[in-house]
Amino acid sequence: MASNKTKRPMLKYLSDSHIEQIHEGSLDILENTGIKVELEEGLEALDKAGAKVDHQTGRAKIPSELVARSLETLPRKFAYAARNPQKDCLMEPGGQLYSRTAGSPDFIIDIDTDEWRAVTVADVLEIYTVMDACDGISILTAAFAQEWPKLGRDILMLREMFDHTDKHIHLRTDTVETFPHMLEMAAIVAGGKEPLRERPIVSLLEGHVSPLRYIDVMVNALLLCGEYGIPLEVCCMPMAGSTGPVTMAGNLQLLNAEFLSGVVISQSAHPGAPLVYAPRPMLMDLRTGFSLAGSIDGEMAAVAGVQMAHFYNVPVSVHGQWSDSVLDDGQSILEHAYTALMGAFSGANILVGAGSLQETLSISLAQLVMDDEINKICFRALEGFAVDKERLGVDAIARVGPGGNFLADPHTVQFVRGERFTPELFYRGSVEGWVEGGRKTFRERAKDKARTILKEHKPNRLPEDIAKALDEYVSYAFESLEK
Amino acid sequence: MSNILEKMQEDLYNGRAEEVEAAAQKALDKGTPVQEILNEGLIAGMDVVGRDFRAGDLFIPEVLIAAKAMHAGLEVLRPLLAESGVPAQAKVVVGTVAGDLHDIGKNLVAMMLQGAGFEIVDLGTDVSPEKFVETVRAEGAELLGMSALLTTTMPSMKSTVEALTEAGLRDEVKVIIGGAPVTASFAEQIGADAYAADAAAAVDTARSLVA
Ligand code: B12
Repeated sequence: MASNKTKRPMLKYLSDSHIEQIHEGSLDILENTGIKVELEEGLEALDKAGAKVDHQTGRAKIPSELVARSLETLPRKFAYAARNPQKDCLMEPGGQLYSRTAGSPDFIIDIDTDEWRAVTVADVLEIYTVMDACDGISILTAAFAQEWPKLGRDILMLREMFDHTDKHIHLRTDTVETFPHMLEMAAIVAGGKEPLRERPIVSLLEGHVSPLRYIDVMVNALLLCGEYGIPLEVCCMPMAGSTGPVTMAGNLQLLNAEFLSGVVISQSAHPGAPLVYAPRPMLMDLRTGFSLAGSIDGEMAAVAGVQMAHFYNVPVSVHGQWSDSVLDDGQSILEHAYTALMGAFSGANILVGAGSLQETLSISLAQLVMDDEINKICFRALEGFAVDKERLGVDAIARVGPGGNFLADPHTVQFVRGERFTPELFYRGSVEGWVEGGRKTFRERAKDKARTILKEHKPNRLPEDIAKALDEYVSYAFESLEK
Repeated sequence: MSNILEKMQEDLYNGRAEEVEAAAQKALDKGTPVQEILNEGLIAGMDVVGRDFRAGDLFIPEVLIAAKAMHAGLEVLRPLLAESGVPAQAKVVVGTVAGDLHDIGKNLVAMMLQGAGFEIVDLGTDVSPEKFVETVRAEGAELLGMSALLTTTMPSMKSTVEALTEAGLRDEVKVIIGGAPVTASFAEQIGADAYAADAAAAVDTARSLVA
């Protein structure tokens, strides 16, 4: 029987033949130009799987047949599990949309002074608290305090995150030395390495260097995530005009070839390791050289990237709220609104970016709260509405007749709830009411909400014994880093 | 000004390296003084490029192509310039600091400086303070340009400035720094001479530092 639900809106730029051309071009790049791999274990895995590897130069050429084989072992469905299982996020191509915050800001717009300044430890705790409280945010991503030591700040970040949310935690790591410690910490919270594999309560995003260069950190991430069964978002961010072709299509093709090479390295070492396609096509600002995040062009390319992920039938994360603005102002709100809606309509699994500014260099609590609202608008837009006999209400219209009204009609009473989304931060009243309320702008209302959350919200802390075990592990990790 | 030099300026603006090279040779063959070809052909041409870039009419890749054309012409003149005692170009050592692999901004700044007539010694990425100091000394550089994109690697800029002081080189070389998280106040704090926010500002600042 036909569903009464409206269709999921799907934004598409590429035709089937475009997709085919980009796929073929990517295979050509991998087979003939190849990639550079800067970690011997990665080269070995590629060698064994059948790539043409030059161990001297680190160059690996990947035959199409190996790409096809690697794509076959990719899992189609897995969870971004959460400490609280009710907050699990299920990744499957074309499935539900979740949102996560953007990665590793270490500058913040001060909520009281609007100053752009370094993130402190106190800020980090506030950032996590607000992220945890916003129910339009499904997954939390790392933020760093600049006071933390350079080596091991990712370990301290994770310790605090575990204590400030029971949602899924998306990691950032800085070094090859610290990442194994972070995985051990996750195993402690999950109750062991096997339970962690069953229910990965953390995931990671890592990237190579465009064009086509796989540095040690990335290869290490591909291998270790595979070993632990931790989902990895393969971040592909060639920058049109500098590290990628200036054309939209050319940059996307390079990005796609890079994703495929990540798949091959990962699946050659650990068949079945969960990967998420993370297309982040960047553009160089042709006047300053800066990388552009909030551009319409970049979002169009990202949507096309999601189509490539659907072609390979893998889960995909898309940047949603991205902006180049240095302040949580009109520009950032506008950029976040259109990038988020386009990202949501792309059919991706994860919409990335809540709270971020200047791509992801800085963060703002007010922006986080505004983006929580934007996320909810996106979810609502995807949900659509129902079309059926009852809701069409021919009888009701007959009852009311020409010139009447629907205010207290039974049909209105029956459906008055559940047909609409009510935003929390929007002011929709009269001028007088607005003046009486203190003439608060959207931005000021967002700040108010963030302050209220900070006063009232109590994150679900770790059980005491686990917190203690984690602290002991952190001390041990720092001792071994010092050696 | 001769037609050759006028045409040379135009070719340079449009990034036609072969034409600029040929014109430089032709002008020399006709007996035009090398200094005149340099100043009225190449440098004057690049000045127009710089002006239009700043005005937002030219894009970075177009400036880089023009700079390549200028260098093609310069190669023809170089042996004669050395003979006629025209002072060599100021040398700039550039690199991304230890622990940092971001090099897009650094490369861009290096290319733009080269276009503006500086001689570049590019140390690449992940460059230690020792390596910077060693190279500044060995090359007799007038300028050191450091790039950092990570807050975790910015302290290495400070260490490098300190290492220059310890090596007794701090007064010989001007230090200019940049990168997304770097600020003018950070530059001041660590005792660098200057900060520039983007490639165009880097060129202007570098020029004023060696003037
Ligand atoms: C592209 C990019 C990458 C690429 C780098 C590719 C390459 N070949 O360089 C890759 C994917 C490899 C990468 C890796 C990482 N990155 Co990165 N990256 C970026 C990104 C998106 C753009 C940087 C860029 O190239 N911009 C374009 C250039 C032209 O701009 P620019 O460098 O600022 O340069 C201009 C000016 O600053 C100035 N300038 C620059 N240098 C100099 C030097 C002098 C002397 C002067 C005068 C001027 C000057 O002039 C330039 C031209 O106008 C930024 C985001 C951002 N908003 O900056 C993050 C960013 C810098 N990366 C970041 C991080 C965390 C990382 C990783 C640690 C992530 C990880 N966990 O793997 C790794 C680190 C690897 C390492 N050890 O260095 C963070 C840094 C956070 C922080 N404040 O510390 C940022 C801000 C993004 C984020 N928040 O996550 N990254």
